[in-house]
Amino acid sequence: MATRTAGRSLGCVPVGCRRGALAFVLVLVALTVPAFAGPAEQAKRIYQRIAGTPPTADVLTSMINAINASPGETGLVNAAAIATQAPGFYNETLKTWVTPWTNRDGTVFAPLNDYTATVIGMVRDDVPFNTALSADILYTVNAPGLPAVSAANNDHYATAEANGVDLSTALVQTTQSGTYGLPSAATAGLITTRAAAYAYFINGTNRAMFRFTMINHLCNDLPTLMDTSRPTDRIRQDVARSPGADSRVYLNSCIGCHAGMDPMAQAFAYYNFDNNSQQLVYTAGSVQPKYLINSQNFPYGYVTPDDSWSNRWRGGTNTWIGWSASLPGSGSGAKSLGQEIAASDAFAQCQVTKVFQAVCYRTPLASDATTIANLKASFESGGYKLKSVFQQAVASCAGQ
Amino acid sequence: MSVIERIMDSKAAPRLAGTMVGLLKACAALVLAAGLAACTGSSGPATVVNQPTTNNATANGYTGPPPQNAAIQAFEVQFWSNIRGTDRCGGCHYAGGQSPMFARSDDVNAAYAAALPEVDVTNIAQSIFVTQVASGHNCWLADPGACALTMQQWIENWLGGEAAATTSIQLVPPPSQPVTSGKVFPAATDTANLDNFEQDLWTPILRNFCVDCHRPDSPTAQSPYFASSDPAQAYSAAQPYIDLNNPPGSRFVERLADELHHCWPTVAGGAPDCPGSAAAMLAAITAYANTIPITQIDPTLLLSQQVSLTQGTVASGGSRYDGAVIAKYMFETGQGDIAYDTSGVSPEADLTLSSSTNCSWVLGWGVGIGAGCKLQATTAGSVKLANLIQPTGEFSIEVWAAPANVAQTDAWIVSYSGSDTTRNATLGQNEQQYMGLTRSSNTDTDGMPPLLTSATGMFAQAALQHIVLTYDPVNGQRLYVNGTYTGDVDPSKGGTLANWDNTFALVMGSEVSGKEQWQGSIKFAAIHNAALTPAQIAQNFAAGVGQRYYLLFDVSALSGIPSSYIVVLASQYDNYSYLFTNPTFMVLNSTSAPAPFTIAGIRIGMNGAIVGQGQAWSTVSTTVGGSAYSPTTGQLLSSVGTVVESDKGAASDMFFLSFDQFGSKTHTYVDPTVPSSAPEVVGSTTQPDVGVKTYAQLNYAMSAITGVPMTDTVVSTLYNTQQQSMPSTAQIGAFQSSQQMAISQLASAYCSELVANASYRDAFFGTALDAQLTATAGSFFGSAANQSIVITPLVAKVVGTGVSPATASAIQTELPSLFATIPTLNSATTVATATQAACTAVLGSGALLFQ
Repeated sequence: MATRTAGRSLGCVPVGCRRGALAFVLVLVALTVPAFAGPAEQAKRIYQRIAGTPPTADVLTSMINAINASPGETGLVNAAAIATQAPGFYNETLKTWVTPWTNRDGTVFAPLNDYTATVIGMVRDDVPFNTALSADILYTVNAPGLPAVSAANNDHYATAEANGVDLSTALVQTTQSGTYGLPSAATAGLITTRAAAYAYFINGTNRAMFRFTMINHLCNDLPTLMDTSRPTDRIRQDVARSPGADSRVYLNSCIGCHAGMDPMAQAFAYYNFDNNSQQLVYTAGSVQPKYLINSQNFPYGYVTPDDSWSNRWRGGTNTWIGWSASLPGSGSGAKSLGQEIAASDAFAQCQVTKVFQAVCYRTPLASDATTIANLKASFESGGYKLKSVFQQAVASCAGQ
Repeated sequence: MSVIERIMDSKAAPRLAGTMVGLLKACAALVLAAGLAACTGSSGPATVVNQPTTNNATANGYTGPPPQNAAIQAFEVQFWSNIRGTDRCGGCHYAGGQSPMFARSDDVNAAYAAALPEVDVTNIAQSIFVTQVASGHNCWLADPGACALTMQQWIENWLGGEAAATTSIQLVPPPSQPVTSGKVFPAATDTANLDNFEQDLWTPILRNFCVDCHRPDSPTAQSPYFASSDPAQAYSAAQPYIDLNNPPGSRFVERLADELHHCWPTVAGGAPDCPGSAAAMLAAITAYANTIPITQIDPTLLLSQQVSLTQGTVASGGSRYDGAVIAKYMFETGQGDIAYDTSGVSPEADLTLSSSTNCSWVLGWGVGIGAGCKLQATTAGSVKLANLIQPTGEFSIEVWAAPANVAQTDAWIVSYSGSDTTRNATLGQNEQQYMGLTRSSNTDTDGMPPLLTSATGMFAQAALQHIVLTYDPVNGQRLYVNGTYTGDVDPSKGGTLANWDNTFALVMGSEVSGKEQWQGSIKFAAIHNAALTPAQIAQNFAAGVGQRYYLLFDVSALSGIPSSYIVVLASQYDNYSYLFTNPTFMVLNSTSAPAPFTIAGIRIGMNGAIVGQGQAWSTVSTTVGGSAYSPTTGQLLSSVGTVVESDKGAASDMFFLSFDQFGSKTHTYVDPTVPSSAPEVVGSTTQPDVGVKTYAQLNYAMSAITGVPMTDTVVSTLYNTQQQSMPSTAQIGAFQSSQQMAISQLASAYCSELVANASYRDAFFGTALDAQLTATAGSFFGSAANQSIVITPLVAKVVGTGVSPATASAIQTELPSLFATIPTLNSATTVATATQAACTAVLGSGALLFQ
């Protein structure tokens, strides 16, 4: 018992001080270790970055063998493929990677939810990720002792995490329409998960869903997307045209976002997160009142009649996004908008860049441009499999 | 005694009932319209009548023949008594004086006959009485505009609101004016121009002072990218912020001069100098603009004729309900330090602007209120408010106001008060709530408790809003925003206003002391001595505010239909822009609809160039004519309005419209191809190639290594409280020393559970420790073989076998040292404690943390 007590002590008793000092010494030692390059070191590095924990001796051996069997990138990727089988890849690395996308604060300190679980499941099952913003897809957890999945709470997923359920095996693919009762045509992948709705359809004007989709899936916030040259006909009435009695602010700043954002965020006109029922509400054919609030701020502004959307950023300064020429650039509802976004070059670029940062621990350098381009090309041509991107990305920074 | 005289003598019942007023006003209007047709005497009930709007209403001192009918009686009370004084029209237009003798005091009936020809009943604003004083003819105020508005108010009171409401707008075509030339930006392919841009503006200014953010490859990239390293991209991005025709109006200059945005030192080592920066920017833009010649507008464009704001037809048809107005401010003066009370009710409670710098006139009628500004009337002028409101027991404060922000608290928009703590009535803003403080028999002298609109309603917005505070004895205070009752109930309703103090002063923008500052702009204010009804408030809201014009853009040449126009309702929206709404195709002087044709892609142009921002009608595509067209109202082309930035000012700016398609004529609009590049996604500096495990990975790894499940109570409890103290990201640059403490604590918890639990312990260390846990560490770990019981599995599981030999070696060196030191610190330390210490030292070290 005395041992347990000592173990929980947070004070700096002499022994504790000593081991703290020793840990510090070992920190310095670890920092002085060069990023050297034998197959064993490469294998360990790959595994740790993918699975978040040191490999067992057996796993390390199999990875070393894979590297030795196919020298060069192929061997490293094959070794990474072993690492991506580890539960830690799904339970920790992917969970930590995705969680900030699911809340406005961008915090990693949030429980597992249906958004995160769905991404993890799509990665595990190699579901084409360009359907992530449009598919009728959902992953639930098949494990004992969990509350049933509910459209009204997150208990199912939070409990699964608290119970330490192995997500590499327990996730089960299903549909939002079947689980939540959302019409299939109204499903839009991650956009219509409960967690996304809770974060971005709650209160406000639903513009948050558009903005955070840009941040999380195009890797750009609105300040880098502003374009004041776009037509202003679909800027809603609630946007003051003379904030603080200075219309220059509107003309030179507000327009930059709203002229492009409002016509696209109109795709979410039938969605709302109901605070009372704590679940996503979809009112087919009926525009949510939040789209019509503060109408007297500018009575001559746009009055949203339906959920039709139009991508005005196909022209102007945002053509770099690389919108798909095979899509019309307009439509109705969240599903087709999700397809528009996910079919862009910027979407693919964003995903591979996020993966690179997740496993290489740094922003890509100019010297990484070829690597990023290759990752993107492989991602697009290979069926948008994120797991492959993880394997290729970690191989690119496995050390030499 | 006439009905009205009886009524006006009745202090107990000073309000006009709507039906009676309507009848009287209708009669007056009808008389004028029909040329003195009979409308003699009202046969209606002797309803209580409201005519509190003038102290001169009883025509004091008049001894001539009584008015022959009700119409003349209205003339006497509402108009004649106000103008017959010797300091006004009566100084000249008296009996025997200058003709017409409408101000004669000997015979009101004769005065009435003389006055009638001077009134335009279909457009009161164009009455000779109004236009004469507007031109300065014997105006009794410093501002002829205020005289005109006051005169107009008297006539409207005389004729009644119905007359004004029935006013029809006679659209007057402007002179035919083809679109004039102006300076336009040459194409980006014009290398000579691009060179000029680089030399004059891009190199010395944009790439020098704006480059930290406004380039796509900046770590803090901020669109627009006018400081891009690609001059062509920078050129395209910079155009909206350069006014070639009026360089001082360039946004680049305003941003520095007015908004102090990232100014730079203009002398070496100096502080940022905004005036100097703005001057340098202006000089650079001017130099560049001077390289661009005035060019003919593209002749292939489909253009209307051009028109200026003041060439439009005044849209004066909006009818307000002002039947109980006792003070009225339209802020039309635009200069000086007096905002005139144009209610026509004496004494005038003119407002004095307290500061020429903190108070500013807003174009298109209004006044801006900044910190340190208030507008205050004298107590002598304000006395009428109490005197006229107390008898009715009701009032309304009505404003069109635009709060500067929704963060200001206890900010008084309009107040009728004596000090910071004594008032009769106040309309204020408290963040996104409006508030009313009316002193009554149910409140204290400060008007407390107040009426506050609900916080969740967020009624106050930083936009132009119509706000009305009403008070009546039954409902107490009510607040209406943009024509709608907020639904908030006065906690002190049911009181009387008998304790009002008529020595207080009317003030706007703050308390009389200057405290409780409100910032924003007021474009209209009125005080009524009646609680306006919801319908009247809705009517006044619908009437709008400010001066508006119908601009007639001649498109006859495009349509092939003579006198065909696109009619647009336009106004000065604020000091910086115009508001354009209701684009309507209309053929004047025609009773038939044109054959259907298409109008598409409407763009607003100004001073020879298409406006860059705010094109809300460019997506219009509609069929005009046929059954969709009305010969009387035309055909609305878009329900959306738009705001465009002014250039040279209302007096000079010339507007026109361009079209992508007009009937069979087309001009394909090509969205300009602008250089487009993705914002920076690559790092600009070499970064560490190593990272740290995140909190979740550490937890997972420690569990995997020790075999202690994450759900272990001791571990999970500590983890849940300490996880946010551990690394949230793998980036080593974000690692903090304090995080190491949390990591060590978690490692200690895992090691504690590892050593204490036999199954975990045996799986990790084997069974050799089981019998030695309570032995002293000094004796047991004096043996290298016993040390290896602990060290070997720690190295194997944390570092791995055959990898990271330097790390393994370091651990194998340091742990024996630890075992040797522990007994010197406490000779009674047990094997269990020492084992836990060794485990914690390794598990919480960089060997696991770094990857």
